[in-house]
Amino acid sequence: MPQKKLSVRIDGELISALEGQTILQAARANGKRIPTLCDLEGLTPVGACRLCIVEISGTDRLFPACTTPVQDGMSVTTVSPKLTQYRRVSLELLFVERNHTCSVCVSNGHCELQAMATEMGVSTVRFAYNYPKLDVDLSHPRYVLDQNRCILCTRCVRVCAELEGAHVWEVTSRGIHSRIVGDLNQKWGDAKGCTSCGKCVQACPTGALAEKGWAVEEMVKKNDNISSLVRRRGVQA
Amino acid sequence: MHEMAKELLDAGERDFIDQVIASKNERPGALLGILEAVQEHHPHKYLPMETLEYIALKTRTPLSRVYSVATFYALFNLQPQGDNTICICRGTACHTRGSRNLLESLRLELGLALEDESDGGGADKILQTTPDQKFTVRTVACFGQCALAPVVEVNHHICGHANERTLQREIQTIERGSE
Repeated sequence: MPQKKLSVRIDGELISALEGQTILQAARANGKRIPTLCDLEGLTPVGACRLCIVEISGTDRLFPACTTPVQDGMSVTTVSPKLTQYRRVSLELLFVERNHTCSVCVSNGHCELQAMATEMGVSTVRFAYNYPKLDVDLSHPRYVLDQNRCILCTRCVRVCAELEGAHVWEVTSRGIHSRIVGDLNQKWGDAKGCTSCGKCVQACPTGALAEKGWAVEEMVKKNDNISSLVRRRGVQA
Repeated sequence: MHEMAKELLDAGERDFIDQVIASKNERPGALLGILEAVQEHHPHKYLPMETLEYIALKTRTPLSRVYSVATFYALFNLQPQGDNTICICRGTACHTRGSRNLLESLRLELGLALEDESDGGGADKILQTTPDQKFTVRTVACFGQCALAPVVEVNHHICGHANERTLQREIQTIERGSE
């Protein structure tokens, strides 16, 4: 059945989108970029990072572009002073929540969080840092999980469940206590379901999941490998 | 995994879990009900790790999903609970009527560690059990009984307008009853 064509306005430009597409997908298909962190092409969108928020005319609410489906005649604004302000606050709160010390991070220079902060002009944080005491899990022979650098985007959770089918990762607890855990809160090295495929490591936008053996600034993630794997397998996101 | 979960649980416990799972009939979202029923069945009202593992195995749910659900809801306990539960309301109305002092004096009375100010200034939920497994003290955000502030729940029985003396009397009654 051919999908219905819809016409949508994004930043004033009239574009055609397919029914069932999200605003983010429609924008990307037409060469428009919306900032994202938790989104990874090929994985189910969850709307965790709130960076892709957009304005839709006719309502005062802001909507996450990654989970909002397009509707015919919709008029979407992706860049405005209000959106920039909200995106900056979201980023600042991400920095406040954990201990993001770029200078000693394996992903320094290749980190999506860092790149996003640079893009949004977040050079200082207006709020007090939380400085939580968090674990670094070195028990896996090849990979490291550093909770201090996690932004809870749940890309690792989704890539493990949807693409690898192992479902080792999940978010435990709630609110400020949320954390990524493997199996029943086991050390990564003891997680029985883990196939050591490393997809979570490649999907992670920050240095929270990294390969062992890399020094500061050396860990370059291969996000594209994940997306192309999805495309080749034809997994429906 | 299969053998381990089976070894660590006794046959009665396993049968009970099997029955609960069967009664839920593989409905989506059944996990919550299963965990609740199994916790209620346990003499210490909690979910040991072996039980979680067995439930995951039997419902064919990923271990991490079971753990995630069990830790998301405050209802589920992963630690053994005391025989008696005293629940103090820390909602706004109860706070203004002195529930903090009530909580502190109760913990002193039962010999429990006092608040550690470093972990978020006491805004978090508290769950403490005495070493002899007799009492569990926990806090709740609101019982919806603000007219009776400060409210304390002793073994699922609401005591309104509680003060240190009524709390002491409740504890004495429980201790006398258990002797």
